[in-house]
This record gives sequence, structure tokens and C-alpha cells, in this order.
Amino acid sequence: MAATFSRRTLLGGAAGAAALGAIGAVTASTATAAGDLRVYVLVVDGCRPDEAAGEHLSAVRDLAAQGTSFSQAKSITVAETIPNHVAMMSGVLPERSGVPANSVWDPARGEVRDLGEAGDLKTSTILDRLPAELGLTTASVLSKDYLFGVFGERASFRWTPEPMLPITNHAPDIFTMGAALDMIDDHDPALMFVNLGDVDRFGHADLSGSSLKILRTLALIDTNLQLERFVDHLKDKGTWESSVVILLADHSMDWSLPLSIINLTGAFDDDPLLADNVTIAQNGGADLLYWTGPEESRAEAIVHMRQIAEATEGVLSVHDPAELRLGTNAGDVVAYAKAGWRFTDPSVVSNPIPGNHGHPATEEIPFVISGGHPSVVRGQVSSAPAHTMDVAPTVASLFGLSAPEGGWDGQARTEAFQGALVGS
Amino acid sequence: MSQVFDRRSVLKASGVAAAAAAVGGAVATASDVWAADGEPAFAHGVASGDPLPDAILLWTRVTPTPESTPGSGQGPTVEVAWEIATDNAFANVVGSGKVPTGPDQDHTVKADATGLAPATTYYFRFALGDVVSGVGTTKTAPAADAAVAHLRFGVVSCSNLPQGHFAAYRYLAERGDLDAVLHLGDYVYEGGGGGVRPHDPPHEIVTLADYRQRHAQYKTDEHLLRLHSLVPFVATWDDHEVANDAWSGGAENHQPDTEGDYAARKAAAHQAYFEWMPVRNESDKIYRRLRFGLLAELSMLDLRSYRSEQADPFDGDVDDPNRTITGPEQMAWLTDGLTSSTAQWKIVGNSVMIAPVLIPPLPKDLLGPLLKLLGLPEEGGVVNPDQWDGYTADRGRLLDTLADNGVRDTVFLTGDIHSSWACDVPRDAGAYPGSPSVAVEFVATSITSDNIDDITGLPPRTVSKVIEGALTGLNRHIKWVEVDSHGACVLDVTPAAAQMDWYFLANKEDAASALSYARSYRVRTGTQKVQRVGSPAGQGGA
Repeated sequence: MAATFSRRTLLGGAAGAAALGAIGAVTASTATAAGDLRVYVLVVDGCRPDEAAGEHLSAVRDLAAQGTSFSQAKSITVAETIPNHVAMMSGVLPERSGVPANSVWDPARGEVRDLGEAGDLKTSTILDRLPAELGLTTASVLSKDYLFGVFGERASFRWTPEPMLPITNHAPDIFTMGAALDMIDDHDPALMFVNLGDVDRFGHADLSGSSLKILRTLALIDTNLQLERFVDHLKDKGTWESSVVILLADHSMDWSLPLSIINLTGAFDDDPLLADNVTIAQNGGADLLYWTGPEESRAEAIVHMRQIAEATEGVLSVHDPAELRLGTNAGDVVAYAKAGWRFTDPSVVSNPIPGNHGHPATEEIPFVISGGHPSVVRGQVSSAPAHTMDVAPTVASLFGLSAPEGGWDGQARTEAFQGALVGS
Repeated sequence: MSQVFDRRSVLKASGVAAAAAAVGGAVATASDVWAADGEPAFAHGVASGDPLPDAILLWTRVTPTPESTPGSGQGPTVEVAWEIATDNAFANVVGSGKVPTGPDQDHTVKADATGLAPATTYYFRFALGDVVSGVGTTKTAPAADAAVAHLRFGVVSCSNLPQGHFAAYRYLAERGDLDAVLHLGDYVYEGGGGGVRPHDPPHEIVTLADYRQRHAQYKTDEHLLRLHSLVPFVATWDDHEVANDAWSGGAENHQPDTEGDYAARKAAAHQAYFEWMPVRNESDKIYRRLRFGLLAELSMLDLRSYRSEQADPFDGDVDDPNRTITGPEQMAWLTDGLTSSTAQWKIVGNSVMIAPVLIPPLPKDLLGPLLKLLGLPEEGGVVNPDQWDGYTADRGRLLDTLADNGVRDTVFLTGDIHSSWACDVPRDAGAYPGSPSVAVEFVATSITSDNIDDITGLPPRTVSKVIEGALTGLNRHIKWVEVDSHGACVLDVTPAAAQMDWYFLANKEDAASALSYARSYRVRTGTQKVQRVGSPAGQGGA
């Protein structure tokens, strides 16, 4: 089909012009801009929908007014940072990507660890496929070390996050955005993937999160400035009209009081079968439970784990990881916390932070497709059930990149654009 | 044109329409409702309801013989024909059928027209012999997975016939832009007595014949008939469809010693309701869910049939976890639906207020009318135990479900309390605004039922403002309350926001009274908080 946005087709000369001519709705100016198409995926880590609509994120509201926002957007479960960033760039569910949560039990190493290594991601992403298949350049500017790690060398250009704050272990947004702007100026990637970590990191640490949200609010104000800086930069550079900006969160955030904690390790230790035979990968609002005892006892142990977890105050629900399509490294049982509660395993002091996510209360996210590109539909709000895993197929449609082997699990959000899209 | 609905029939229908119109202005009594020449008549109008993407429920009542008056139990069994078309000339009929009816159904007729197209306007009518009913207009719901940009509903409650005229229904009929009318209960009242217009029968209704006769009287009000003929209804009941402050086993306004077994009265009231209202019903169950594309899902509740008895306002235990307002089955149905819905806006048709309301300390002269409005004894009370405030365990279950599962864009639409409210619904009202709001509530005022200025006899917008200020001052999540005015509301729904517009009557005792725009609140998607808007939807609102 015609190549509305494909640089390759436009560079193809007469054939490309003929293809464009087949789309009545695409104007000459659109076609010209399409040749310079740039897509920027900006993740405001941990941002809640009410914050995106609120007084402190005027830049998000402005982008929404100039584009399409999705009022039913959600993260994939588990609502954690690494799996949702992987979903954005891979377009597939954890059972295929190999990344179901931030933290999993690694039986080979005998430890619970973050999935922050390049080998943890088992599928292709648009960061590596766009260069390999279409010859386009991509870039990643990610504020957290484990995100930098899990995407490895997939992008054509990568920023090493620095300086890292000692407690939050992320690069502040002012530096991350500085790096993103430098990336544009120095390398002009066709696709750039940016994670802004302040809202999440200061939200985690905000002891007033269940009331005044002091740190969180300061972070929102600063992140808003960085988003304004980004848009201004593109406009000053004269590339706004050729840009598509996808702004979303990976998950939202929920705050718990100090005594609203769930410690399943202690509950399991009281059960003769489970004691010392269960390992828990604690992910804030979700626990991944792994049976590490004899294989012949696994089925019985799963029944015990489920029964004990379901009876524990603060637990919302328990699930089979296969039912959630999380893959084999997500363990034997997944437990979710209720809103206002958090898991702390293995000990009651393992998770002292008030702000958490991973549970269903934190799946709702802002999701906006905007930018100056003339094909972006302006001022639209869509009830379509968008997900983080929709980013990759949407970007792929814009550039004319085919679906990966096995297809996308996400869906291209074509309603955000007018005119036919490549690959749609 | 079908054989049943031939030219002669249509000409006859004109005569019937003229006869019905002659009833006009005032309402008719049971003996007025058949055609003057003794021919069969469709004197109670036509109606439609419960729109689905492919079906709509059509309703009418035929009076086949002069003695077949409502509630009489007299008259023959007859077969009424119906047809539905895409044009009001019935050139393109897409569905038709015949429905038997007789004294066992009080000669009411329900036909479920199926095989229809989604989001489509249709025209329908009925015939018995040569006599044809007036033409009704209706509209199906959008397809379940359709991207819907806009919906608009009329929202009404509490239409007490002796306490005024139904000019608010006329206003909604004249708008011409409604997808449906949501009636949140107290469609009829059980009391006897006079007022602006006397009830028929003149005594408190108790028997099946009484309830049938009362429904029939309401369906001779010209404004209500017109609205029914133009817009599909989605209705639920509150207490007055049976008796005041009803609960599963009784009612405040039911005295077993003189009025008999409550279960029999409730069964009679429900039978008459299902006969006379355009609602689908499975046995005696009225709570149900309707879908309007990806944009909205509407859950209509029944908060009377399964609830525990109201707690004593002074020594009752409103927090008793064993007490229920929904019943466990309906609660599971509601929470499952809210958490699994793929529609954006979760609209809940909710007959009594769910937002917590602490009753403020007020001078006796002001507290008395407020307590009367709330149905509380003169000695007062901290909360109104007839609302969700009297069933805090069930409210906690519901609000926790919304919070725990990250359910957003839930809107409770409420009636019952004869006044106008816009509220955030916090999980913990005591900690609000620190405790987040998990939903919003818009309360529609009454069509006619009395409120503060009627109770006090004082001019509106005088002492009521003191009451309103005390309510919002003590209850920070209540953003607006107005306790004087009557009228109708319009809920406008888009993917960006849901906005409630209140329209108030100038004079409820005047059938020709005008309504004027009063106020608007909206909730923007993802926020769970109401926000005042300066103009009605479509004029700079949602």
C-alpha cells in the first residue's frame, strides 16, 4: 500500500510519488513533511491520568489538544517500568518478550534480580528493526540504569544516564532532556525513545504521597518544564511539522501508609510445606511467587500459596501467570495488592517506600499521540482501549515496518492519524 | 405498507389522536381512557425502552372495549399488531408482529423489536383492528465495539403528580437531541389525596388494581406521553413505585395491620410496573446493564428489593457488615461489571445518594425542613439511613472495588432526594481531599416532588442558601447542592468528559411553565472529580 510516511518510498523517486498520489487525502505538504518524519516516544514514568489532566502538566494538556488522547489507556501487567518499556518497543506481551516484571527469581543465579540486562529481552524491538530493515536511525535516552541495560545496544545511538542520583538511582529529567535535545541535534534519529524518571522516582519516595504529594508535585512541575523545553526545541529547530510525539506513562502510582504492608514470606513460613521453599520477587504492588521445593510437590504448594495469599489482609487477588500471559519466568503465582497497600518481601522492611505500582490500581495511564505533523488528528479523545504495547505497532505503521514474526500483540493506534498509514 | 396498517386504519388513528389530545392539559381518570365512539383506543400512548444495538422494546396499552379500563380486570383477550420502520411514513418496515394481551396484562402490550441496525432512528406503531396508535420514535444503541463520539441522555426522577405538572418532561421532549431518558425512580407515587392534580384512585394504592390505575393515570399526562413517544426510556424504580422508604421486607409507608401482607403489595406493585413501563424484565429483576459502544455502559440498580431494613437514625448500626443495600447477588453483578467493562464511562443509575452526607447542625427552623426532605424524624440524625450512608459496608465494598482495580470514569446518577447535587465520591470522606475521589455523583432534582421551599413555604433562594452552605461546608466533597428547584437534567457524554446540565422549572404548578438553564458540572476523563462549567454541553461545555 501507499507510503504516507515512509522515507524509503519517498527516496524511491517516481515510484514513491505515484504511491502517494493514490491517497487522495494526503496533501502535497503532508507528503513533503512525511519525508522528514521523526517519531519521539516520551515516557513520563509513573504519571497518573489525573495528573496528566491536572494543573501541573500543562505541556501534556497542550499536546493532547493538538493530538489524540486515549481515555482508556492502560499499562500491561505487571504494571512495572521494565516490562512496559519493553512492551512499548517490542509490541508484544511478556510471554514473548521474556520480561514480565521488574524483578524476577533467576534460578540459574539463585537470586532475585532486576531484568536489566540485554540478554533478558528475548524479542526484537523497533529500536533494532528500524535500522536493520529500513536503514533508519534510532536512539534511546533512558534515565534509569536498568532500562539502559535491558535495551543494550539495540538503538543506533544510546545515552548512558548520568549523573545518577544516589538514592533514586536515576538521572534527573533536566539532564535526561538535555541529552535528548543533544541527541536530536547531533544525530537526528528517526525514532527516539526517552524515559523521564523524576515523576516516578520522587513519587516513590514521597512520604506525603497519600495526602499532600509534596515531592511528587515538585517533580510534575519540573517535568512539565522539560516537556515544554522539548517542544520548543523542535519548533525552534523547524522540525515540529515533521514530528509525531507519543507521550505516555509506563504505569501510574499508588501510595500506602506505613502500616499498610503485606509480607507473604512470614505467612508462608508458618506453613510446613512452604517454609523455606518459596522465593518471592517483590515488585511493589505485585509479588511473583516461585516454588523452589521438590517438583513433585509443586501443585500442592501452589494451592497453599494461593490460599494463604488470598487470606492475607491487603491482597486483592491471586493469579496463574499463564492466565496473565506473563511467561515462564514469572513464577507459579502472581499476587496483587489492593489500592493503598504494598508488598514488602522477604522482610517487613524490604520495601519501605510509600509510592508503589504493579497492582491493578496503577494500570491506568495517560497516552497521547500528538506533534506538528499534518497527519496527526487534532483535539480528539478516543475511548479505544490503548495499551503500552500499542506504541511499537503504531510507530511501525508510520514508518512502514512490517509486523514481527508471530505478529503484534499490540494494535496500531491508527485513529490518531488521518489518511492511510503504511502497514495499517 | 402492511396489511394491518392500511390507509383506513391510519385515518382512524387521527380520530384517536384527536380524542387523546382532547384530554390535554390535565390528566385523565380511568374512565376517560377509551375512545369516545366506543372503538378501541390507544389512549395511554406509545413508548419504547431499553435500547440495544439490535433491538428495542416497544410498549403501548390498548383499551379494546369501554369496560376494559385500567385495573378493571375486564375486557377481551385481543391480538395487537405492531410494526417498526426506518421512516415515519412506514414505507420501509423492517419488523412487525402480533402480541396477545388481555385483562391478565391489564391490556398492556410489550413487543421486543429485534434485528435492527445500531445507532439508528426508527418509527413504530400499534394496531387493533382498524384502529392504529400514534407513531412513536425511538433509537437503537450503538454497536458494542463502535467508537462513539457523543451521547446525550435526559436524566429525571421523582414525578409526584399531585405536587405539580410535568413540564420538565415537555422540555426534554422538545429538545430533540436525546439518545434516551434515564428515569432514576419515583416515576409514580403511592399516596392518595389532592394537590395541584388529584391522584387516581384518590386513596393510597395497595392492590394490583390500584397500582394499575395509578400507572394509567400518569400515562395520560400529555407531557409524559409526548416524551415517551419520542425518546426511549431506561428506567429503574425507587421506593414510591411500591411505598415510601421501601426495603426488602417492608416499607415505612406500609402498615401490615391495615394494608395486609407487604410481599403481596410489593408483588402487585412490581407486576403493574412491568406491565406499564417499557423495561425488559427477567422475572422480577430490574437491575440490568446496557451498552452504548466503547463510550459508555449503563448499570441500572435496584436499591429497594434486596436491601436490609433501614437502621434507626439514633441507635441503628449503619456499619453492620451484614446489612446490605444491593443484596450480595446484585453487588457481585455490579462490581464484576465495573471491573470487566471495556466501555469508557461506567454510568450507574442509582436511585439513592452514594456520596456521604453528614447532616450539619442548624437552627431548628432550618433543620426541620432539611430533615423532612431527607425523610428523617424531627429529632434529627447524623446521616440519612435510607441512602448508601445507611449501608456503609456495601458502599465500602463498591468504592474499594473501584480503587483496587483502578476503575476510572465512573459516574453515579441519582434521584430520590428532590434536589440538585454535584459531588466527588471519595473512598474516605473524612480524609478528603487527601483520600482520592474514586467516582463522581450527579443528583437530578425532582420533576415535581416537594423540596425545601415547598416544605417551608418561604420564597426560594432565601433560607435554603443557609442549608446549602452548611451542607457543602461540612461535606467538602460536595461541590454544589441546590434544594429549592425542580426540573430535568441532561447528561452529555464524550470521550473527553461527562457533563450534567441542570434545567429548572419556573413554576411547577403551571403545565406551560418554562425551564431555564441553571448550572453545569462535568468530570473530565481520568480525574474522578467534578468541575463547574459555565455553559451547557454543546455550548462550550464538555
